[in-house]
Amino acid sequence: MALLELRDVHRDFGGVRAVDGVSMTLDAGALHALVGPNGCGKSTLFNLVTGAIAPTSGSISLRGIEIGGQPPHRIARLGVACKFQVASVFDELTVEQNLSVAAHSSADADRELARTGLARLRHSVAGMLSHGQRQWLELAMVLARRPALLLLDEPTAGMTAAETAATVDLIRTVAADGNLAVWVIEHDVGFLEKLSCPVTVMARGRVVRTGTMAEIRSDPHVQKIYFGAE
Amino acid sequence: MIARVPLAISLAVFVALAALPWLAGDYWTGQFTRSLLYGLLALSLALVWGRGGMLCLGQGMFFGTGGYVMALLTMGKLGPGLADAWLALIVAAASAAALAAIVGVFVFWGASISGPYFAIVTLAIAVVLEQSIRSNYGLGGDNGLVGVPPLPLGTSAFDATPPYLLVLVVVAAAYFTLDATLSRRIGLVLDALRVNPNRLAYLGYSLFAWRVATFAAGGALAGLAGALFVAVDGFASPTLIGFGLSAEALIWVALGGRTVLMAALLGALAVRHGEALLAAWLGDWWLLALGSVFVLVAVAAPAGLLAAPLLWLGARVRR
Repeated sequence: MALLELRDVHRDFGGVRAVDGVSMTLDAGALHALVGPNGCGKSTLFNLVTGAIAPTSGSISLRGIEIGGQPPHRIARLGVACKFQVASVFDELTVEQNLSVAAHSSADADRELARTGLARLRHSVAGMLSHGQRQWLELAMVLARRPALLLLDEPTAGMTAAETAATVDLIRTVAADGNLAVWVIEHDVGFLEKLSCPVTVMARGRVVRTGTMAEIRSDPHVQKIYFGAE
Repeated sequence: MIARVPLAISLAVFVALAALPWLAGDYWTGQFTRSLLYGLLALSLALVWGRGGMLCLGQGMFFGTGGYVMALLTMGKLGPGLADAWLALIVAAASAAALAAIVGVFVFWGASISGPYFAIVTLAIAVVLEQSIRSNYGLGGDNGLVGVPPLPLGTSAFDATPPYLLVLVVVAAAYFTLDATLSRRIGLVLDALRVNPNRLAYLGYSLFAWRVATFAAGGALAGLAGALFVAVDGFASPTLIGFGLSAEALIWVALGGRTVLMAALLGALAVRHGEALLAAWLGDWWLLALGSVFVLVAVAAPAGLLAAPLLWLGARVRR
């Protein structure tokens, strides 16, 4: 059984169809990327999976349990964690306190503090961290929950080249332990090539193509809608 | 980072308050009995607003509910078998908690009302409740319920010290219990709820459950304060339940410091007695002066006037 399964998922906003009949699956332990031009429905699809919005029609299931339309906290408890594009942390709390709120145990918190290199900043107030550190703190928080599925919405937005490279390593490391499926939305083609994982391309609310980065790059239809080639 | 006032300072404050009857005489002891109960109301608002992030403009409704339930029970209006004062205190606090839970379910269910909308809804409910009581002759209407029996302490009704000490013990117990509870993970979750509720929901926390539970706990504390207040005062008035007292509580907590429990408690004591001084100096202008101070603090020192000195003192004590 697939970890995550979307079947004929639609989402309308008034007269606009943001997601139009998307069907796809994600297996446990998979690393997968979702790309597409602005307004293609990527973030809406993420929001449907996390429970921020409910599908107009269709089914979204996690390990066979229907999660479409469930509130975010219930979906999170089933094992879905998400990292937002703009880092969302508890600014008035210290790094350690942020992890304490997120983690099931202090061992989980300490593990992620060490893995993200934030242990030396454990007593720093989150609101005083740099942009990249805040992104990593949020990543540490969601990983500390030991989720089954991790959704990352442009995880390297605003990061320096060094931070981006370190984030690639981190994502590949957490995905490699086999217990966690990672689904990444990203615009940065260089970042996606470094991740070297299967990629799904969306356009106008629909899935256009799924394949390796090389296959995606060589697909004339994808080139036309995403890379702008004639 | 949310800081706590060290135990040594909190203990020193309560020890100093315990000495008051022997230093200040019966009049001030009686005044401070009431002020301490307003301080307990301030603690309840500090929990709900300061820590939980729910700006309640009607916290007085729970204080008043506790007061009226206490009055009805101890005056025997709900049957002589229920007139026991100690049982009535528990029932009064539970009734206020139940009202808070009902209001909480109503406002937080589904899309959840929050921010200024929550403040307006709680204000409206408090005003409606006050008007309902004013027009209910079974509850004494505008006159309220007069002749509420004092607490059965076995001492003279004219001796202000025993009720003061009892109230002090109750307020201290509530303070230390709340302080100890909020120093654990539960306090961090409340701070997270105030700072970034959206993130908290995506970490698996039910905002509905946390908000209703916190609101009900705040209601219980306010209800207990109101029940003791009418027993001390001998009188349950509609003014205990409406916007007036709720707004005053907001001023005490804002001026003291809403995220620091001791600052909120001392804020209530300071403003209550500061009001008397202001009234003596400025006559009818005292309310304008207090309002001006409130606006100044809200703009220039949103953390309150007492929180920073208390935390500074706490840091010195810890060294």
